[in-house]
Amino acid sequence: MRQLFTIYCKEVMELWRNFKWIWVPLVFIFLGVMQPITTFYMPEILDAVGGLPEGSVIEIPLPSGGEVLAKTLSQYGTMGILILVLCFMGIVSAERESGVVGLIMVKPVSHTLYITAKWLGAASLTFVSFLFGYLASWYYTNLLIEKVQFFLVVKSFFIYLPWLLFVITVTLFVSTYLKGSGAIAFLSLSIAAGLFIVTSFLSQNMGWSPAMLPSYSTSLIVAGQLDSGLFSAVLATFVMIVVLIVGAIAYFKSTFHMG
Amino acid sequence: MTLLKVNNLRKRYGKHEAVKGISFQLEEGRCVSLLGPNGAGKTTTLSMLAGLIHPTSGEIYFQGISGTDFRQQIGFLPQYPSFYNWMSGREFIEYVGKLAHIPTGEIRKRSDEVLEFVGISIAKNRKIGSYSGGMRQRLGLAQALIHKPKLLILDEPVSALDPIGRREVLNLIKSINKETTVLFSTHLLHDAEEISDDLLIMHRGEILLSGDMKMVMSEAQQPVIHIKGESSLEKWAEQLKTYGYITKIICNHEHLQIMVTDLEESKSKLLKEIAEKEIPIRKFEVAETTLEDLFMKVVGV
Repeated sequence: MRQLFTIYCKEVMELWRNFKWIWVPLVFIFLGVMQPITTFYMPEILDAVGGLPEGSVIEIPLPSGGEVLAKTLSQYGTMGILILVLCFMGIVSAERESGVVGLIMVKPVSHTLYITAKWLGAASLTFVSFLFGYLASWYYTNLLIEKVQFFLVVKSFFIYLPWLLFVITVTLFVSTYLKGSGAIAFLSLSIAAGLFIVTSFLSQNMGWSPAMLPSYSTSLIVAGQLDSGLFSAVLATFVMIVVLIVGAIAYFKSTFHMG
Repeated sequence: MTLLKVNNLRKRYGKHEAVKGISFQLEEGRCVSLLGPNGAGKTTTLSMLAGLIHPTSGEIYFQGISGTDFRQQIGFLPQYPSFYNWMSGREFIEYVGKLAHIPTGEIRKRSDEVLEFVGISIAKNRKIGSYSGGMRQRLGLAQALIHKPKLLILDEPVSALDPIGRREVLNLIKSINKETTVLFSTHLLHDAEEISDDLLIMHRGEILLSGDMKMVMSEAQQPVIHIKGESSLEKWAEQLKTYGYITKIICNHEHLQIMVTDLEESKSKLLKEIAEKEIPIRKFEVAETTLEDLFMKVVGV
């Protein structure tokens, strides 16, 4: 357990030293704040870029606060995921590539704790970035659009979070098997996008899919309703996260002889 | 007492067999050098001992440990060590020290000790990214020593260093060896001869010679006469080959290396012949074969 803590601290410190603790939350905050702001100022923005033709009458209905937050979530589903995958693509492979992992693993280090600590480090950054970004989005939505129930925001946060954790776990898994960062990022994004597309085609039968979490989270924040497939999706997501971590550990372990 | 015993260790990469079923043992407290030309399988062997790669077959036994995981008891310095360049030297040493189960209360003192010992305590708060090659090698030694291992395995510890750095690291290895068994690979024969008690010579994945350095050397010792001429001695060398007291002759233009059976007899005979035939020589030297000669003989170059 002490080893887990030691490696986790090292991971957190590394993320700090290469400024990921600064810029990843900043990107999430930026993405979160942009939605309410652009929605609110849309008429002014249209004016500034040349305005509408003389005499045209267009009603731009102000969306509800829930809809704005749903748009924020959909931003996190694209840009947010891209940032997270790029951020963690080298999480295991970079240390293998540089060779430093050899120096670490000749010490009596448990392979299980090594991978688990790395996952915890990545999950911490993901949690904090998503939390700050989503809270910022909620704050500006309250300010500019309309009040949204805090309780709903918290619930939708915890329904969406496992999807982000699932994506970083896929990245960690791929990073354990492959070496080149480009290939890792491409494959991780493809897996996430592929699952998302397949799920949206077969949404009737794939209510349990991790890729359903964004839509469950969205329908909660927009309409305040909890879909029936939610529980199975959360459960399946956590099972898949555990399976992926165990798979990563098993492969990582198999590349060394001792321990 | 035997510290480590290797039995029929084998490593195959596809069709290529890098290590062909070697067996040897390391005695406690000795300094053992593993010699061999490039591609002999030295690094592969050491990496298997350090647990970084799987042997294809064979066993490794470590004194007093029943399982196969004896990482707590070994320190390993790879040929090209890499670190977390964003850490300072001290942070790295403390990190690996914690991983090697050094109690939290002792970690600061212990890491200061080893950094002092390897001579980089002035730079310990600097980022590793700014370290020179020699400092990285020392930091590599420090991380291998931090948990007081019983066996220190060093892969080419001095090959990449300048003469001064090499001398200093050799002295460090000597003083480490007072408390710890050391196994190191090198292709610098002079260094091996200077600091090691035992030697293992590897070639093409096999161990061709092993044993106590002094005994092996004295067994293989053969008197040799070096002659340097003013011009090419090749013609004379052709004649010399027919003489019975000469076992081997190596001729390189004006340089002659003559292995002989009886030193006194051949010395006087050769000198007499040089005088009679008025062979123009610059130098006539009686010597003994060195580790290099032995090495060349064993690997058959």
